[in-house]
Amino acid sequence: MKRYDIAIIGSGPAGLSAAINSKIRNKDIIVFGYKDFSSKLVKAPKINNYLGFHDISGIELKEKFEEHINAMNVELTYERVNNIYAMGDYFSIMVNETMYEAKAVIITTGIEYTKPLKGEEEFLGRGVGYCATCDAPLYRDKVVTVIGYNKEAEEEANYVSELASKLYYVPMYKDHYDLRENIEVVNEKPVDIVGDDRVQKLIMTSREIETQGVFVLKDSISPAQLVPGLLMEDGHIKVDRTMKTNIEGCFAAGDCIGKPYQYIKAAGEGLIAALSAVSYLDSKK
Amino acid sequence: MIKEIMDSSFLEEVEKQEGVVVVDFWAAWCGPCKMLAPVVEELSNEIPGVKFGKVNVDNNPQISQNFRIASIPTIMVFKDGNVIDTMVGFRPKSELENMIKKHI
Repeated sequence: MKRYDIAIIGSGPAGLSAAINSKIRNKDIIVFGYKDFSSKLVKAPKINNYLGFHDISGIELKEKFEEHINAMNVELTYERVNNIYAMGDYFSIMVNETMYEAKAVIITTGIEYTKPLKGEEEFLGRGVGYCATCDAPLYRDKVVTVIGYNKEAEEEANYVSELASKLYYVPMYKDHYDLRENIEVVNEKPVDIVGDDRVQKLIMTSREIETQGVFVLKDSISPAQLVPGLLMEDGHIKVDRTMKTNIEGCFAAGDCIGKPYQYIKAAGEGLIAALSAVSYLDSKK
Repeated sequence: MIKEIMDSSFLEEVEKQEGVVVVDFWAAWCGPCKMLAPVVEELSNEIPGVKFGKVNVDNNPQISQNFRIASIPTIMVFKDGNVIDTMVGFRPKSELENMIKKHI
């Protein structure tokens, strides 16, 4: 399999700045992102604090970024990264059924993920899970609750319901639900996951359900779930001045490492992360 | 080297063993387990004096039930037959290495 020098996860200002600077240093890179680069960027009506671009709209700035990366032959891969595994000398990057490999990784995923529920982190691996299809067979003939933040969660719920003795589905969005008949939809807001050494109950605003497993299926996941073993601090990825995380070869930049949440700060950090990744790669030779 | 451990051999291979035994609970359908397997394999060759085993949770429901495995991969470290450390989910090699070496 092809092994890239650097994989950049995210296409906001931090990711793009990391990309162009890695490219300048002649590294073989892959950049995962979106066509719009960043939903926050295209939503900004006016930006006055990006040096060199006074009175510019988010969309205009996005177009400038686009011209820049095109001129430097930086291409984006429009795929969503599910997991990044630190294998020792390299990283395995899982994208649904596909896998990529890179020697170094730069995380620039911004900060959009939903806060965990009370008890969610405490019971992780002891009844709480994030991958229903992964752990479903362990809940054969047990009561399972799926808290779904998007339509895709319905598919997973349907699958788990084939194995579980009872399945509750707690939708966190309004839509028509394509669920099997034996699934009970609970239209309540989850408040707390409780138990002793294992999950026992899910407490909601006006109801409690006894359940042995709770799967929380979200749109965007926190960096610590994206990269198992990644150290966080106050909701952000912990980095040093060189944008180095606790995992060797893994760097981070932009909103995901902390406040202030600003474009030019993100771009500056993306630059530092890229240079740090380059020197990390050079030190490995 | 990693030894395949079954319900039937668990007592002999793990619980009656003196010293440190590392057990990897896994299954064929679990993606993160596949990623962790080569990492555990490497460590088994790099850390002397520690026994490494793996339990396929599908084929060995008894042991998985006894240790209440609720998520895989789960790595359990045994010392003189007792569980002294547990790690749930994929973890980087260095972290797993530190966890094991702590108990030697």
